[in-house]
Amino acid sequence: MAEDNAPQHHAPASGGSQHHGGGSGPPGSSGPRAQGGRPGGPAKRGKRNFVRKKKVCRFCVDKVDFIDYKKADVLSPFIQERGKILPRRMTGTCARHQRWLTVAIKRAQNIALLPFAAEL
Amino acid sequence: MEERQYDLIFICRPDTPEAEIDKVISTLEHTATEKGAKIEKTEKWGRKRMAYRVHRLREGFYVYLVIRSSHGEVVKELERRLKVSDVVIKYLTIRLDEEFKRQEKLKRHRERRAARRPRKATPAAQPPSAAGGEQATTL
Repeated sequence: MAEDNAPQHHAPASGGSQHHGGGSGPPGSSGPRAQGGRPGGPAKRGKRNFVRKKKVCRFCVDKVDFIDYKKADVLSPFIQERGKILPRRMTGTCARHQRWLTVAIKRAQNIALLPFAAEL
Repeated sequence: MEERQYDLIFICRPDTPEAEIDKVISTLEHTATEKGAKIEKTEKWGRKRMAYRVHRLREGFYVYLVIRSSHGEVVKELERRLKVSDVVIKYLTIRLDEEFKRQEKLKRHRERRAARRPRKATPAAQPPSAAGGEQATTL
């Protein structure tokens, strides 16, 4: 299960930076007043303004109408190693599919196909 | 009343002999037919590692059944049987017909729309990513 989670790892990071970018973007345009004195300021800001890749819902791409709770390998990329369900903003899943996904994950947890929490 | 469909999964102890599991399945089948339901599919997934420990066991023998019935009492009776049984450590019944109905509806909807306008932009009923994917396939 851990190796299934591996490709998901970049997601939290990009989600986090997205948040930062959003926060610092608008002040950046009127920036010089905030940190103009610092020599490192502008360069750092430039680095942070990378182009974000648009995340698309994986289920919409495959046109999934029903998320099967029995396929643990499909569901496992959407949970953390500790067993938490990953939020939409990290996986890019659309609202509708996320709704179905949570139900499927919870069903799978009940029949021990997915963990509720990581074992000690 | 219209027919309902249920998924029934149960997990047996991993050290149970196959004959014992077959016995459980046949009793379930018997009970189901007695109550007017029919078992559509029986699948033995075999020994699998469980995601967490149940009764201090790490593995379990999974059995998967699909049941069709017009009323829910069958489920009650089947679950009672599973609860009583010593070899069964966990079970889960899920009603799925409504979800299949929804699935059918969405599928029909999509097909109809694809047939109607093969290359124009689809209306905003579906998320944009889905609409985009659809266009790609129809073109």
